[in-house]
Amino acid sequence: MIGMLGKLVDKLLAGPKANYRGVMGVYYYVDDATEAVKTLREQGHQGLSVFSPVPHHDIEHALGQKSSLVRWVTFTGGLLGITGGFSLCIYAGLSYPMVTGGKELISIPPFVIIGYESMILLAGISNLIGMLALARLPQTQSRAPYDPRFTEDKIGIWVPCSGDEARKVEQLMRGNGAEEVKVHG
Amino acid sequence: MSSDEAKKLSHAATADAGPVITQKSLNDDVLRMISKPGRLWWIIFIIDLMILAVGLIAERNQILYGIGVAGHTRPVMWASYVANFVFWVGIAHCGTLVSAILFLFRSHFRRAVYRVAEAMTVFGVLTAGLFPLLHTGRPWFAYWLFPYPNQRQLWPNFRSPLEWDVFAVTTYLTVSSIFFLVGIIPDAAVARDRTNNRWLKLIYTVFSMGWTGSNNQWKNFYGAYLYFAALATPLVLSVHSVVSWDFAMSQVPGWHSTIFAPYFVAGAIFSGVAMVINLLIPIRKAFKLEHIVTVDHIEKLSKLVLLTSSIVGYSYLCEFFSAWYGPSKVERDLFWWRATGHFAWAFWIMFTCNVIIPLSLWFKPVRRNMGLLFVLCLSFNVGMYFERFVIIVTSLAHPFNPSTWDVNYRMSWTEGAILAGSFAWFFMFFLIFVRLLPAFSIAEIKETLTAPMRRKPS
Repeated sequence: MIGMLGKLVDKLLAGPKANYRGVMGVYYYVDDATEAVKTLREQGHQGLSVFSPVPHHDIEHALGQKSSLVRWVTFTGGLLGITGGFSLCIYAGLSYPMVTGGKELISIPPFVIIGYESMILLAGISNLIGMLALARLPQTQSRAPYDPRFTEDKIGIWVPCSGDEARKVEQLMRGNGAEEVKVHG
Repeated sequence: MSSDEAKKLSHAATADAGPVITQKSLNDDVLRMISKPGRLWWIIFIIDLMILAVGLIAERNQILYGIGVAGHTRPVMWASYVANFVFWVGIAHCGTLVSAILFLFRSHFRRAVYRVAEAMTVFGVLTAGLFPLLHTGRPWFAYWLFPYPNQRQLWPNFRSPLEWDVFAVTTYLTVSSIFFLVGIIPDAAVARDRTNNRWLKLIYTVFSMGWTGSNNQWKNFYGAYLYFAALATPLVLSVHSVVSWDFAMSQVPGWHSTIFAPYFVAGAIFSGVAMVINLLIPIRKAFKLEHIVTVDHIEKLSKLVLLTSSIVGYSYLCEFFSAWYGPSKVERDLFWWRATGHFAWAFWIMFTCNVIIPLSLWFKPVRRNMGLLFVLCLSFNVGMYFERFVIIVTSLAHPFNPSTWDVNYRMSWTEGAILAGSFAWFFMFFLIFVRLLPAFSIAEIKETLTAPMRRKPS
C-alpha cells in the first residue's frame, strides 16, 4: 500500500513531461549574468527568464523589468474590504435594531474598527491572490528546464529559441562567462 | 542606515561570525535543522504532549461540569482565561513587528531572526484564540461570534468591543499566517531541491508551490511582500489596541483609561521580543548556528526590549499619577489597593520584572551575555503574565460597590492546567516547525552576503 502510494507521489513529483526549446546558460557571477542579459536583449531576444537564488537589482535593470502590478489587486481588495465592513455593520444595525439609550443605530466610530480590520483582511487576501496569479503560482511545470542549483548559488538564463539562433546564443553565453550552456529541443 | 552600518550588520562582515558564510554553506546549515530529529527533541516533544494532555483533561472537565470548575466568582468573572488571552496575543505581536515594521525600516538585523518571530506569532495567535472560546464554557457555539445570515436576522453587536476583538484577532491570524507562509515559499524550494526523502519532497513541493526563482516570481514576490509588510504594520498596532479596548471601553475603575492602547501595544512588543530571545538563544546553541544568529542580532533585540520596557514603566507610573491627580476617589482607592492590598504580591512581581529588572539592559555586557539574557527574558514574561493578571483581576475585585470587595478569586487547578496546556500547545507547534520548515530565512540571509562578482564593482 505504502509502496503504491510512494510510486504515486514520485509520479506526481516528476510532473508532466515538458518539451523545451531554447538555451539555458548557468552562471555564477552576477556581473557576467547581467552582461549576458544586456547583450541578449540588445540582439533582440524576447521572453528571457532569469532564475536566481536571490533577486539581483542589476539583472532586474538589465531585463528592463517594470514594478509588480500586485499593488492594484491589493488596493481593490482593500477598497472592497472597507466598503464591505461598513456595509455589514450598517445593514446589521438596520435589519436587527438594538436601540441603546435612544442613540442612533448607525454609529460610525465603532464601525470604523470593523471597516478598518475588514480592509486589512481583504487587502491581505487579495495581495496573496494577486501575487500568486501574477507569479503563476502554484505551478506544476516550470517555464524553462529547471536546475536545483538555482536555489543554491547559480544563476540561470533561459532564452527561448531554436536552430541557428540557438547556436549563436550558445556561443554568446560561452564567451560571456557561462559555466555551462545547454541547448534544448 | 548608512551603507557602512548595513555592512557591519550583514553576516559577511560580522566580527563574531566565526566561519565565513557562503550561499552553499547557508543552505546546508539551515537545512541541517530539518534533518531527522534526535533523542533530545523526542524527549522534549513527548513531555510537551503529556502536559498538553493534562490541559485537555482539564478542558474536558470544564465541558462536562461547566465553567464553575474555574475559579471565577462574582465580581471577578474574567480572570485567568482572559489574562491568558491577552498574554498570548501579546506574545504574538513581536513576529509581525520584527518581520513587517523592521522590514519597512530596512533594519537588516531582522533577516536572521524574523522567521522564528513570525512562527511564534502564528502559533501565539492560535493559542490566544482558544481562550475566549474556552471562557465561554460552550466552545461549540463559537461560530455565533461571526456575522452570518440566518433566518431570524440576528447579527452580532458591532458596537461591542468584544466583537471588534473577533474581527481584529481573526484578521491578525489570517494575515500573519499568509505572511508566514508566503515568506517560506522560496526557502521551501531550497529544501525541496535538497531532500532525498520523497515524502518530505512532497511536503516542500506543496509549501514551495513549484517555486523556481524566476525573475517574474521574485518581482511579484517582493512586490507583494512590501504590501504585506505595509498592511501588517497598522494591523499589529490596531490588534492590541482593540484588545485593550475590551477593558478601556468599560467604566470599571482601573480599566477606564485612554492610555490603554499604546500601553498594551508596548507591553505586547516587550513580552513578544523577550519570548523571541528566549526561543532564539537555545535554538542557535542547539543547532550550532551562532554564526547565523549572532550576538549582535540578539543584542539589537534586547535593545528593543529595553525601549518597550521603559514605555511600559512610564505607563504604570502614568496610571498612578492619573489616579492621584484625577477627580475619581474610586480610581485612587483602587490603585492604592493594587499596590498594597490582597494582590500586592502580584503587583510587585509585575513591577519588579517589567520595570526594575529591565534596567540592567542599559549595560552592554548584560545584553551580550546569552545565559543571563535568557534568564532575564524569562523573568520579563513572568512579569508580563502578572501584568495582565493584575489589570484584570484587581480591577474587577475592587469595583464601585464596597460590599463586593471580599476577594475570593483563587485560580483553580483547572485554570492552572489549561494555562500549562496552552504553553504545551504553543511549543508543540513550535517543535514541529523547527524540525519541518526552514527556521531561518535562507533567501533573505543570502541577500546580506556579498554577491559574487568577477570584476570589482566600480
